[in-house]
Amino acid sequence: MTHDATVETLSNTAMAVRSKSSSLLGAWWGPAVWISATGVFAGTRASDIAGRETFFNVAQPWVVYVFLAGLVGLLTFGFVRHASLWMIGKPTDGILKEIPARLRNVGRYGAGQDKVRRDRYAGIMHWCISSSIIVLTIVTAQVALQDDTPLDFLHGNYYLFFSFYGDLFGLIGLIGVGMALYRRYFASHHRIRWDERVEDHLIIVGLGLILVTGFVVESARIIETELVQHPDWARWSFVSWVLAQGIDSFGFSVSSPENPQSEILALHTWSWWVHVVLAFSWLGLIVFTRLDHLIFAPINAFFLRTDAPGRLAEIKDIEEQEVFGVGHVQDFTWKQLFELDACVRCGRCTEVCPANISGQPLSPMHLIQDLKAHLADVGPDIQMHRHATGDAGREVSPIAMVGDVIKDETLWACRTCGACVQECPVLIEHVPTIVDMRRFLVMNEARLPANAQAALENIEMRGHPWRGTALERTTWMEGLGEVAIFDGTQDYLYWVGCSGSLVERNLPITQSVFKLLRESGASFGVMGQEETCNGDPARRLGNEYLFQILAQQLIETFNGKNVQKVITNCPHCFNTFKNEYPQFNGNFEVLHHTEFLAGALEDGRLKPKYAVTSDVTYHDSCYLGRMNGTYDAPRQIIEMVPGANLVEMQRNLSRGLCCGAGGGNMWQEEIGERRVNHVRTEEAVSTGADQVISNCPFCIQMFEDGVPSIQPEEEGRIKPFDVAELLEAAVFGPKMDSNPTED
Amino acid sequence: MHLVVCAKQIPDPDTPPSAFKIDEATNSVVPAPGISPILSQFDGIAAEAALRIKESQGDDSKVTVISMGADSARAAIKQVLAMGADEGVLLNDEAFEGGDSYTTAKVLAAAINHLGDVDAVFCGRQAADWDMGQVGLLLSEELNWASAIIAKGVEYGDGNISVQRVLTDGFETVSTQLPAVVTVSNEFGEPRYPKLPQIMAAAKKTVTQLGASDLGLDPSDVGASGSRLKVERLYIPETDSNVEFMEGDTPQEQAAALVQKLQADKLI
Ligand SMILES: Cc1cc2nc3c(=O)[nH]c(=O)nc-3n(C[C@H](O)[C@H](O)[C@H](O)COP(=O)(O)OP(=O)(O)OC[C@H]3O[C@@H](n4cnc5c(N)ncnc54)[C@H](O)[C@@H]3O)c2cc1C
Ligand code: SF4
Ligand code: SF4
Repeated sequence: MTHDATVETLSNTAMAVRSKSSSLLGAWWGPAVWISATGVFAGTRASDIAGRETFFNVAQPWVVYVFLAGLVGLLTFGFVRHASLWMIGKPTDGILKEIPARLRNVGRYGAGQDKVRRDRYAGIMHWCISSSIIVLTIVTAQVALQDDTPLDFLHGNYYLFFSFYGDLFGLIGLIGVGMALYRRYFASHHRIRWDERVEDHLIIVGLGLILVTGFVVESARIIETELVQHPDWARWSFVSWVLAQGIDSFGFSVSSPENPQSEILALHTWSWWVHVVLAFSWLGLIVFTRLDHLIFAPINAFFLRTDAPGRLAEIKDIEEQEVFGVGHVQDFTWKQLFELDACVRCGRCTEVCPANISGQPLSPMHLIQDLKAHLADVGPDIQMHRHATGDAGREVSPIAMVGDVIKDETLWACRTCGACVQECPVLIEHVPTIVDMRRFLVMNEARLPANAQAALENIEMRGHPWRGTALERTTWMEGLGEVAIFDGTQDYLYWVGCSGSLVERNLPITQSVFKLLRESGASFGVMGQEETCNGDPARRLGNEYLFQILAQQLIETFNGKNVQKVITNCPHCFNTFKNEYPQFNGNFEVLHHTEFLAGALEDGRLKPKYAVTSDVTYHDSCYLGRMNGTYDAPRQIIEMVPGANLVEMQRNLSRGLCCGAGGGNMWQEEIGERRVNHVRTEEAVSTGADQVISNCPFCIQMFEDGVPSIQPEEEGRIKPFDVAELLEAAVFGPKMDSNPTED
Repeated sequence: MHLVVCAKQIPDPDTPPSAFKIDEATNSVVPAPGISPILSQFDGIAAEAALRIKESQGDDSKVTVISMGADSARAAIKQVLAMGADEGVLLNDEAFEGGDSYTTAKVLAAAINHLGDVDAVFCGRQAADWDMGQVGLLLSEELNWASAIIAKGVEYGDGNISVQRVLTDGFETVSTQLPAVVTVSNEFGEPRYPKLPQIMAAAKKTVTQLGASDLGLDPSDVGASGSRLKVERLYIPETDSNVEFMEGDTPQEQAAALVQKLQADKLI
């Protein structure tokens, strides 16, 4: 199956949608290492003529080693200083398990820069810069090896080749720097300027100067030793060769036995010193600036979670905790603190954040940066306090992390949509960090928006978040004939969910799924009146305690009924059953209805007979798409509906924009310039489609709410439907009566 | 300072209409399946009012929550304990069943006297099931205390309590010496969301249960036998609705037609 818009291969590990070119671009380090290794080997055996004196003309080459020692010292000092701050965090679980998967992540995201390339321009730019730094470091190391060890390999063909790729990667580096300069100084409003600091100029201008002075050094040497003497060698250093001719054309004096102190030699000496001092200073910036991602990003790839991205960590032994959630920086895990240091302020997370896009008070980049600054602020005092007293030191900081540093409304604006996590090139996981702080707000401080509170209270009192609903959990069954109650003899439990049964708009969806399941011949039953909230909204709103109670109760009910396989209406129920219930030993085989229906279509248990002629666009819900990697099944269904023509939105698949309801925002007032569902509805409308198809009752509600605002004229409005409703029309005909057809 | 909150557990007012059933033979409400009873919403607000005073008074003051009802009413008591109340008393006795506002007040008054050192009692303005709004006032009569009803604000200082009362056309402030009974209205504000440490502490607190004999009440004075109110007939009223669209070419004309219609029907 192919889609035009499916530029990415759809893998079933969510957050892991990789682009096809990944292996090509990612493998920059391979050739470099290979070239050098074979070079050293071949060079030691060659006995050719080409070659040069490595520290040509430099009087005190040993100074380099002094610099190097200084750099190593500085890096060690910086690392220890950082590490001592991370260590105030709590221990983590299982970070040293699953080593092979972790190493693969280091290869893929660290070395392969898999995420960086999600922005093509930045991907190319970053590849140019990083590969040139790596290759030129190897080039420099070879020079050192040649000069300071018995190895002798920089001569002959390998020397020429070495000259060539040294220049090549120098040029590549300059192209990268050029692209970076353009982005930083000419592309207005670019995300990388949303939090710009002096260091950013130092880093990029510094790197440019290092490359340029490197070429100048090389050119001066070529003028002195090759331009006239060995023009055929000189050509291999193709950039320096051109530059050398340029410099030479000014007629500077070249050394000779009579004139040992030439202008070109002086140029060489000076540019060498500038180059070396710049290079080491620049590397020193690793300790003080976001250049530290050179080290931290690959390490963070190693620490990346290996479990489902849709899963939030449980608070173990919740009744025994002193503090609930994270209100103080030392209550984060050390991994969460470590992550803060890896952030490069690239702004990618903020650029895709639905709250930020809608002008609401949340920018994940600033959230991470604010936490980082707070850690640097109060971390040392907390450390001292701990050494002195041994207690957690929660009183040490005079400013409240949650409330002062990170505002309540910032935390509440998050949709837990995972778009930020998906984009972050250094693999920071914002969602668990945000939810940890919500947990503190809700459980520890009882400080939450009134509507969110009402939803939670409603779950506690009535077992569902839909305060004031006039519907019963069985209302949707009316007119459907016999609806079997699950009794352990059927294969599947069809889990309708609170939204599927208690919100008017969603009843037809529930009925569609039901009719299709029945038509497919599946053996299934429902729980009717016995269904109750599975805890997802409570968990995402931060009430982990309530979630755990509900989860444990429901797991008990499921086990009591001998439930093995569940089909859910809603991607949130799906994610909770599939990824979160195993935390409490609830292990069930869980399918979202689109997955089941796509399977039934494929093996012919369902046959679409009626055409539904219309252009439809498809909205990926966050919890089916990004969090669980199911992008294909719903599209497969749409493709099999005769007459339906799928027009993709610009933001789709793993880049899909949240409808605005996630993370408990279904039950909150939005603060900010726009509402997220208006933004998303606008995107759907702009495809020109007649229908916007989704797979989630919340998304459908958000579209239903958004459409009249975006299209005030009733005529020609886009219509929101669930995939199941579309399929129902194709299988039973547009006006099918609700009784089962006998044929 | 010892404050008492009277909390009633009621059938969920949010019960979907289709699930709300009445047994006309016994004149009683049939509990809707799968829908648990809840704390009457005004009583949560009454608890909030009492807790704010407690917090302003420091450590030696306490709040006791009392509910008359079946064993299930423990859930309502726990909810107020989780908000921060210190002790819970459940008044559960067959003899209390089937009573009216008067017998309820009588039982509550006996319980408050039983506690002995109570300075003020906080009730909801009305229980959200029958909406009688009687118990608070009857209770103050039984106790022979002052009362201030339908409060939107309550302040305490120097043995005096001052209460902002909601009136139809504004509000008035009255003040009285303690002991007194105050009934609290929704204008007071939302009850707090319990903090988890308090929820867990509440789960561990024991609720004292008292019956007629503990309170020295004669069973024939309370419950159905003491009741003065007799329900003649309990039924769900027939409702009928009609939709009429106002004619008019412009919104202004439609609005004018609407005003005329409402005036003709004496609705405005
Ligand atoms: C036909 C009929 C049958 C009834 N059957 C029963 C029954 O079986 N069991 C039963 O408990 N009630 C029953 N009641 C309700 C009961 O008779 C009283 O009406 C009720 O207990 C008093 O509440 P109210 O609705 O008059 O409260 P209101 O006067 O409106 O209540 C005001 C405030 O008084 C306090 N309060 C009221 N009741 C209690 C209570 N029980 N415990 C603590 N504080 C309270 C609360 O703070 C409340 O906010 C029945 C009523 C009727 C009409
Ligand atoms: S999860 Fe979504 S809403 Fe929350 S910060 Fe990330 S991108 Fe923004
Ligand atoms: S958190 Fe990640 S995506 Fe966001 S600014 Fe930092 S590095 Fe970039």
